[in-house]
Amino acid sequence: MDKHPSYEALSPYLSKYPKAAGSLFQTYNDLRLAQQWTDLELVELPGCSRCGMRGRRPQMDDLLCVVPCSLSESLSTDWIRTTFKELGSPPHVYLAINTEDSSIVYYKISPGIVKPPL
Amino acid sequence: MSLITPSRQKGSPKGGGRRAENNRIYAHPLPLVFSAPESRSRIGHVLGLFGTNTRLENPHCEGVFDPATRSVWVTNEKDSMILWRRGFFGKGDLSRSEPSWLARQVNARKAAGKYMTSEEVREKRRAERKQFKMDRAAAIARAAAEAEAAFAEGREAAPAFIPSGATWKPHQSSEISSLPEGPPEKHPDEVVEELEPLENVEHLQLTLQEAFFLVWNLDCLTVLDPHTREPMDLRRIWQSFQEVHCIPVDLPVYANRCDNIFLVNYAAYHYYRSLGWVVKGGIKFCVDLLLYKRGPVFHHAEFAVVVIPVYEDPADKESSPFNLPNSDTFSWSWLSTINRVNAQVQKTLILTYVTIPAQSRVSADLLSSPACLALYSVRDVVLRRFIPARMRD
Repeated sequence: MDKHPSYEALSPYLSKYPKAAGSLFQTYNDLRLAQQWTDLELVELPGCSRCGMRGRRPQMDDLLCVVPCSLSESLSTDWIRTTFKELGSPPHVYLAINTEDSSIVYYKISPGIVKPPL
Repeated sequence: MSLITPSRQKGSPKGGGRRAENNRIYAHPLPLVFSAPESRSRIGHVLGLFGTNTRLENPHCEGVFDPATRSVWVTNEKDSMILWRRGFFGKGDLSRSEPSWLARQVNARKAAGKYMTSEEVREKRRAERKQFKMDRAAAIARAAAEAEAAFAEGREAAPAFIPSGATWKPHQSSEISSLPEGPPEKHPDEVVEELEPLENVEHLQLTLQEAFFLVWNLDCLTVLDPHTREPMDLRRIWQSFQEVHCIPVDLPVYANRCDNIFLVNYAAYHYYRSLGWVVKGGIKFCVDLLLYKRGPVFHHAEFAVVVIPVYEDPADKESSPFNLPNSDTFSWSWLSTINRVNAQVQKTLILTYVTIPAQSRVSADLLSSPACLALYSVRDVVLRRFIPARMRD
């Protein structure tokens, strides 16, 4: 992992929050390299013992928030509420669920009921 | 032809050429290949028919153990291709399946897109589906407005046409552009020269179960230690793969546990692989594993597997430091949800019960090697929804 180009930007957070290191690394690389997000910045979420991310999707202007987690973790609604609070109450948060084979499934979480767009 | 209209043909919608190509590329079901060298003499040829001339070709792939992501990384491109093409082991960490990140970047730069990778096909399909939904919503709104107007005037509304998946046709709209295009005013050759040369930052990621299967059963993979870069021997691999789930590692409660998550998952993985199925992860369908008959490129997975660990000795469950998923009795609503999700995508749900032997009858010695797997038993139960009113046979 330390040979990877993304390691330098991530290393302080990988050692600070070791349990979330794998999911942070996978999600960061997926967003930056595969999904081609721009203006990607890391946001510390001490209440959830991990680091989240904020960035822009290609061809879209809004700043979106992503919180990585692993499939083996159990989350509580309190945990989700904490992520919203620590990210500055965005309109919605994307939860990136990472697996060991490097698949990432993103879930969009909003605080409250949301009507489907179409 | 729209990518979202259901296919008219029964079998694969791909042409015969693509199928033949796939049969050629993915001809070997495992990384080990048997080859019979051409023999000049008659006796050699006759002996060859008995199989005495056949040689086993072992690709000897190499991977690095990464404890943080609980996986083994194969960075060598040749090894990645071999492991993917012969048995569909692993997944490109920046791709849907086969490591195709570099090809997609090159495609994007050239903006020629002659051969679309599966990710690009997926983007095109999603863009079409979005357009279809917008057209449908607009048609519904129009029909509602027309009905309102007709009611106000006291006449019959004209019959409305709402497009469905089968009838909608994609129209050439300039707003649908899913592939990122380079700046149009520059000459394509200039674009390639100005950008930095691409370094392939993608690797093939093998789950610990896949890696162990390749190491122990086929002996075609060497796993390197992440810090020393030295090859790890089988005993160390067996131990390290279990230790990733023990945090912190030296806590005595983790020692000699039969219910380590790696062991339980490996028992199920080994069971299906040894029966000839291609086993991949099933997170996209809320299950643990997906079983493919030949591989993902040929046909969608027929079976979705949920691994349910069962303790032979209930006391082991009480004393367990692990919280194995699905080890508690499940509610029927959970089962019903998963079955419905998979029935929607034409997959059959299989519940795979892995029985964990009692801690009391397994010695620490036995646990230190894969020989303890003989004590695990795997039983599967196939589930199908039964509707008495409709299914009379």
